[in-house]
Amino acid sequence: MSNNQALVDAIVDMREDDALQMAQSTLDAGTDPLAILDDCSEAMEIIGKRFEEGECFVPELIMAGEVLNQITKMVKPKMTTTAKTKKLGKIVFGTVEGDIHDIAKDIVAFMLDINGFEVTDLGVDVPPAKFVDTVQKTGATIVGLSGFLTLAYEPMKETVIALKAAGLDDVKIMIGGGQIDEQIREYTGADAFGKDAMTAVSLAKQWVGVN
Amino acid sequence: MEQPQAPVFTPSPEYLAREKRFNDAIALRKPDRVPLASMASFFMTRYGGLTNAEAMYDYDKMAAAWIAGAQKLNWDMAPPAFTMFPGPVWEKLGIKTFRWPGHDLPENLPYQFVEEEYMLEDEYDEFLSNPADFVIRKMMPRMSSTLQPLGILPPLHWLSSGYTLTMFGAALAGAPPIVNMLKQIIEVGEEMSKWNATQARIGMELAQLGYPIITIAFAQAPFDWIGDMFRGLRGVMIDMYRQPDKLKAAIDIFTDFAIQSAIMGAQQSGNPRVFIPLHRGSGGFLSNEQFAEFYWPGLKTLMLALIDAGLTPMPYLEGDYTPRLEFLTELPAGKVLGHFDVIDLKKAKKAIGDVMCFWGNVPASMLVTGNPQQVKDYVKELIDIFGDNGGLIVDGAVDGVPPESKPENVEAMIETVFEYGVS
Repeated sequence: MSNNQALVDAIVDMREDDALQMAQSTLDAGTDPLAILDDCSEAMEIIGKRFEEGECFVPELIMAGEVLNQITKMVKPKMTTTAKTKKLGKIVFGTVEGDIHDIAKDIVAFMLDINGFEVTDLGVDVPPAKFVDTVQKTGATIVGLSGFLTLAYEPMKETVIALKAAGLDDVKIMIGGGQIDEQIREYTGADAFGKDAMTAVSLAKQWVGVN
Repeated sequence: MEQPQAPVFTPSPEYLAREKRFNDAIALRKPDRVPLASMASFFMTRYGGLTNAEAMYDYDKMAAAWIAGAQKLNWDMAPPAFTMFPGPVWEKLGIKTFRWPGHDLPENLPYQFVEEEYMLEDEYDEFLSNPADFVIRKMMPRMSSTLQPLGILPPLHWLSSGYTLTMFGAALAGAPPIVNMLKQIIEVGEEMSKWNATQARIGMELAQLGYPIITIAFAQAPFDWIGDMFRGLRGVMIDMYRQPDKLKAAIDIFTDFAIQSAIMGAQQSGNPRVFIPLHRGSGGFLSNEQFAEFYWPGLKTLMLALIDAGLTPMPYLEGDYTPRLEFLTELPAGKVLGHFDVIDLKKAKKAIGDVMCFWGNVPASMLVTGNPQQVKDYVKELIDIFGDNGGLIVDGAVDGVPPESKPENVEAMIETVFEYGVS
C-alpha cells in the first residue's frame, strides 16, 4: 500500500510539477525517504502494467523515469539507511557488436532496474567476449541482447554461441529490437525475444521464478 | 543562372512499360504484372561484391555495381543510389551525426545515425524566434567539426548594413578559423560535385537501359524531423509533456519546409515520387491520441500538399502500423504508395486496400536468415491478399531488401512475382 496516494497518482498521471512538489513537502515534513521511494516504485509498477495493457506508451515510460530520477536525487541526501530490498536477479544487458543504438536498450534496462533487477549495462557495440566476461564476473543468470538493425542478427548469434561455449548453458538469453521476431530467436538460439520493455520484465521475472 | 543542358533522353518501350506498371499499381488499376521495386541500399553494392566501405568511398565502383545489380535483379524500378552517401564528403565535412564504414565503423557495417540532442531542451525559444540563425550558429557547429567556427559568428541580423557587414562580416572572413573553414567548405563542395555527377550518370545509364528510378525527392514527417534531428527520442517525448506548444510550433515550421523541399526535389529531378521515411509514428511508440495530436497532422498536411502538387507521396511506414490503419483511410484513394513493415496483412487489406497501394513487406528476418521456399510462400500470400485490385508492389519490409539478405532469397522473391504475379 502506498504511503502517499496523491504522490503515486501525480506520477502515474504525468503531473511532473505536482509530483516534485509533493515529494519535496513530504520529505520536508520528515517522512522517511524510503517511504517516498516506495511510492515511486508503486507508481512505476502501475505505469508498467498500463504499458503492458496498451494504455500507455514510450513517452510515459520516459517521462515517469524522468520524474523518478529527480525524486531520487531529491531524497538521496536525506537517506540514513539504504534500501535493503533484495534484488530479484542479475542481468547483463547491452547492444550487440556493430550496432551503436542505445535508446531502446536504455528504456529496457531502466524498466528492468526499477522492477527489481540488478542490471549491468554494457552500453553499445559490445563484443561477445565482453558479455561472457561480465556474466562470469557478476554471476548473472540472464543476458539481454539489443539490436536495432538487421546487422545485429549475426553478432546476436555469435554472442549466444560464445556464452554456450564458455559453459554458461544455464544463463537465459533474451533478444529484442525493431527487426527481431521468432525467426531470429530461432536463428540466434536465444531463449526468447521481446517486442518491448515490459515483455523483457515479464520474461526476466518468469525466469527467476517470480510473478 | 544558366542551367546546364540536360542530356536528351528518349524513353524506350521497356522504360514506359515499367513506369506504366508501377503507376497502375499506385492508382489501384490492375497492371499486367505485380511490380517489383525496392529502396535497397547496401544490398546493391554487396550483391556486386563490394564492401560497404568501398561503396561509400569509390564512386565509380559503386556506380558499376549499382547499374549491373539493377539489370541483374530486373526490378521494375531501380533503387536510387543516393542512399550510398559519400564517405569523403562526410570526412571533409567532419560530420558528427553519422558513424560509417571506412571511417569509424568496420568496412562491412552500414552507416548509422548518431542521435543526440542537437538542440537542447531550453533552446526552443531561440530556434522559434529565428530558425535560420539558430541552425547556422548553434546546430551546425554541433553537427560538424568543419563548421564549428560558425559558432563565433555574431547574430546574423547584425550584418544587415554596409557598416556592420564590413566591421563584423568582412572582418570575420579574415579570421584564421573562418579562413580555414572556408577552404574546407570549398573542398567539400568539389568532392560533392564528383558524387553528384556519379549520381546523375547512374540515373541516366539506368534510364537508357530501360529502368526508371523509384524516387529522388525526399521529405520527413515533421514530428520525426524534430525527434530525430533536433531533440532525440527522449527529448521529443519529454517535450510532449513539458512544452507541447513549442514542440508543435517547431513541427509547423518543418511542415512548411518538408512540403517546399519535396516539391523542389521533385521538380528539379522530374521524378514525381517522394520518399517519406517514418520513424516514431508506429504503434508502440505513441498512443493513437498522441499520434493524432503530434504526429499525424503534420504528416497528413505534407502528403495532401504533395498530392495537390501532382506528386505521389511514398510514406515508409516503419514499425507496426496496424494500430494506425484508421488514420491512413483519411487519404484520397489511389494517390499514395504506402511501404509497410510489420502489419496485419488481412486487417491492412480490409482497411486500406481501396485507399492505397500496398508496398512490401517480406520480413527482413526471412530475407536475411530464411530460405527461398519461405520467401516464395510469403510472396504468394501477398499476391493472394492484395493482388485482386492491382494495389500491390512487392519488396522487403522495413528498409526494402536489407543489406545482409541472402541473394537466393531475394532471387526467390523476384521469381515468384514473375511466375505468380501475372494477370
